[in-house]
Amino acid sequence: MRVLYIDTSSDYLYSGIVINDKLVSEIKKKYEKDLSKEALPKVIELFDKAGITPQELDKIIVVNGPGSFTGIRIGITIAKTMAWALNINITPISGLTAMAISCNNDTYKMPLIDARRDYVYGAIYDKDNNKIIEDSHIYLQDLLDKSKNLSEVVAITNNNININLKVLRYDPDILKIVKHYENSEGINPHLVNPIYLKKTEAEEKAGL
Amino acid sequence: MKDVYILGIESSCDETSCSIVKNGTVEIATSTSTQIAIHENFGGVVPEIASREHVKNITIVIEDCLKKANMKIEDVNAIAITYGPGLIGSLLIGLEAAKTLSYIYNKPLIPIHHIAGHIYANSLVEELKFPLIALVVSGGHTELIKMTDHFKFEKLGGTLDDAIGECYDKVARVIGLSYPGGPKLDKLSKEGKPTYKLPIPLNDNSYNFSFSGLKSAVINLNHNEEQKGNKINKADLAASFQDAAVKSIVSKTKKALKDYDINNLIVAGGVAANSILREALNDMCKENNIHLSIPPMKYCTDNGTMIASSGYYAYKLNRKADYYLNSMSTTPLQ
Repeated sequence: MRVLYIDTSSDYLYSGIVINDKLVSEIKKKYEKDLSKEALPKVIELFDKAGITPQELDKIIVVNGPGSFTGIRIGITIAKTMAWALNINITPISGLTAMAISCNNDTYKMPLIDARRDYVYGAIYDKDNNKIIEDSHIYLQDLLDKSKNLSEVVAITNNNININLKVLRYDPDILKIVKHYENSEGINPHLVNPIYLKKTEAEEKAGL
Repeated sequence: MKDVYILGIESSCDETSCSIVKNGTVEIATSTSTQIAIHENFGGVVPEIASREHVKNITIVIEDCLKKANMKIEDVNAIAITYGPGLIGSLLIGLEAAKTLSYIYNKPLIPIHHIAGHIYANSLVEELKFPLIALVVSGGHTELIKMTDHFKFEKLGGTLDDAIGECYDKVARVIGLSYPGGPKLDKLSKEGKPTYKLPIPLNDNSYNFSFSGLKSAVINLNHNEEQKGNKINKADLAASFQDAAVKSIVSKTKKALKDYDINNLIVAGGVAANSILREALNDMCKENNIHLSIPPMKYCTDNGTMIASSGYYAYKLNRKADYYLNSMSTTPLQ
């Protein structure tokens, strides 16, 4: 089984290729700008390093949100175009779930992405990565209130979020994420779209 | 000579479009997903919504185009893509898709400037004859460009403020016409006469345009008449506005043709569909023995066909990009 993983939902490009239970190439790089310029060349480097062509892929797993709108669209467009062209299985996944899966703590886990003005994209998972609170665009304090009755909670984030919880830096375990979704059914590439969790300002103002 | 097929992708504003063109001049198939109905709700294009629509539609539009052409990507010689200028979030959807296809199918990636695309839309009617003057009139551009050969552009002048299409839409809104108001204003103006006195914009020796003064004059006139309790004749106001705008465009175009002693004029961009402008340019060209080419409406608005067509001439000149190609919201014509 040969799987390509792509996550561009934050300021980072997280991507890797897994061949038969082994992570053979990966990139974890922060981008202030130029993600649109470099994302594909970096993915091509992963193929070269793995010694396979895209035609040998069996599956693509791509993060469809939440997070940076533009960032997500870059990863999704590359992934859905590739899956469509190669006619292979593609599975879109939540970046917050990927954050929970990557964390081995035996506690409740609260992955967080800064959404500005005291809002976050966040969720709460138990130690087995089952969702306790769904992925949401939510006022940080409201999410914290929802976690109040849970025994022990760690936050996982790459942003500077001021919070009275133990905070772990997010470092994706690409092999673990890929193994988690490797046998998922996948969907039609045309239907792979970002999950924004938030309407555009224009839609909000217009009450649409 | 073997036929050359180029697949072109355009996503710089609110149309997701893919087309296959043979030898730069023959449209094989085109598929376009337009978002006009969506943006009508907001009185103009909302960039974030446009990007969301592009990502939804991009692979569907490409697949539809290939189906219509009864071709596979393997059958095309290269992939041409609009890299700018335009809405950055919109541009990069087409760009990432084009780069990915270029990589997967090992086809050359041809970067196309959006304005070059509009100009080359004329190739679908007749091959470009050089030297020529290109008048580009659209929602985002008003420019006079001199061309001495394929992809040899010299910008003579452009708008100093609003683009002509933008000005049309804004004036249309003042008159009470819904977005996109330009074509509606064109239609309404035919029922009126240019009876209102409006200034001819930037009546100077340059090849530049300025439409914000004209726009303000229309808004002020409308406002003052309302204050006085006078009823505005909307058709007459539309006709007066068109008269001033078109006179300015035609006079600057004529000056460029005369100064450079050029006998070929091509018109490009969405506003090339404007009936009064077409008529006035036609008359001016007839009087001055100038060969005029205006593409049919379907090639005037944003479309993949013009990108595929210009892609052919760029391909012939070996103008290729690598996978580091990026989208640019503003970028000089080249």
